[in-house]
Amino acid sequence: MSVDLELVQRVQAGDKKAFDVLIMKYQQRIVHVITGFVHDPVEALDVAQEAFIKAYRAIPNFRGDSAFYTWLYRIAINTSKNHLTARSRRPPLHDVDAMDATNFYDAPELKEFETPESKLVSDELQQVIYNAIEGLPEDTATAIKLRELEGLSYEEIAEVMGCPIGTVRSRIFRAREAIDKQIHETMSEGEIR
Amino acid sequence: MTVNHKELLSALVDGELTGEELDLALNILQTDEQARQQWQRYQLASDVLHGHNLVSHSADLTASISSAVAGEPLLTTPVKAKVLHFSQPFWKQTMSLAVAASIGALAVVGVMSQSQHDLIATEQLATLEVEQSAVAQTTHASKRWTVEEEDVEQRLNTYLVDHNEYAGASGVFSYARVVSYEVGQ
Repeated sequence: MSVDLELVQRVQAGDKKAFDVLIMKYQQRIVHVITGFVHDPVEALDVAQEAFIKAYRAIPNFRGDSAFYTWLYRIAINTSKNHLTARSRRPPLHDVDAMDATNFYDAPELKEFETPESKLVSDELQQVIYNAIEGLPEDTATAIKLRELEGLSYEEIAEVMGCPIGTVRSRIFRAREAIDKQIHETMSEGEIR
Repeated sequence: MTVNHKELLSALVDGELTGEELDLALNILQTDEQARQQWQRYQLASDVLHGHNLVSHSADLTASISSAVAGEPLLTTPVKAKVLHFSQPFWKQTMSLAVAASIGALAVVGVMSQSQHDLIATEQLATLEVEQSAVAQTTHASKRWTVEEEDVEQRLNTYLVDHNEYAGASGVFSYARVVSYEVGQ
């Protein structure tokens, strides 16, 4: 069972805190998608909040037929469209398939959702992360690249790298720590707004 | 927060936790604000590497949504339709029910049929009684029976009634020979 489904089942059983974890996990992606519809970052935050509340109300009916993010993505799109219709604004003609929306690089249509500000911040942050990865030991860098860029599971990475799953987990954690340190320093210096 | 806890949070970003480790990670997130921030930074870096552009890296909707959700009624999952579990195979139970229903139906039809026969017999009896009195009245006038003795005539009348009653009650009325007579015989 996936972690998302486990969390959903906890929410369905009445654990509201489990929903917090789902919000923390997906809020950036959802806000990004909604910004593509409403074009105003502040307005997008309001619509995202509404979408998450709708998702919470609808979660008793979530059966796990699709991934949780796919389901949440559809709610976010519908909430955005309703928001625009209520304000007599026209929604975009094309939607991005929910499955593709999981990974930005698989959905070129998502680039239409970019704003100059979001692109600038993301580009800067991405550069910081790549620099951090470049400074890692080779096995650590390989583990995080296989995970984040290739999307392999820990088991698959362990097979590719010929090491135990526990070692993969440890290497990915060390990579994240190095990346996080770099992001933290960059933010502290005010290089990323 | 220990290194082990941080490693758990990192694995949670990748969805690679199960069982007790998942419980522990969720508990850390729910009780340790520093852990929450740490996990969100891990998640942020992961989102950026996956190409999800950031609207605002400092925006955190968790608190506002969480307070809105706190006012919501407690969720209850829809009750699923209960599946009946039969101790015997389904076809066996169905057959038993069909046999029981057939026997019941036969019993009802039998009782109804019997009641109808009784009704026929009663109606015939009533009719015959009327006829009998008519016969009795006319016999005296026309000497319908060829016997002179009154008690013999009475026995013949009784025999006629009994015969017709038996034919009706036995359910073979249509095949029974109707004892009758013609006026003037």
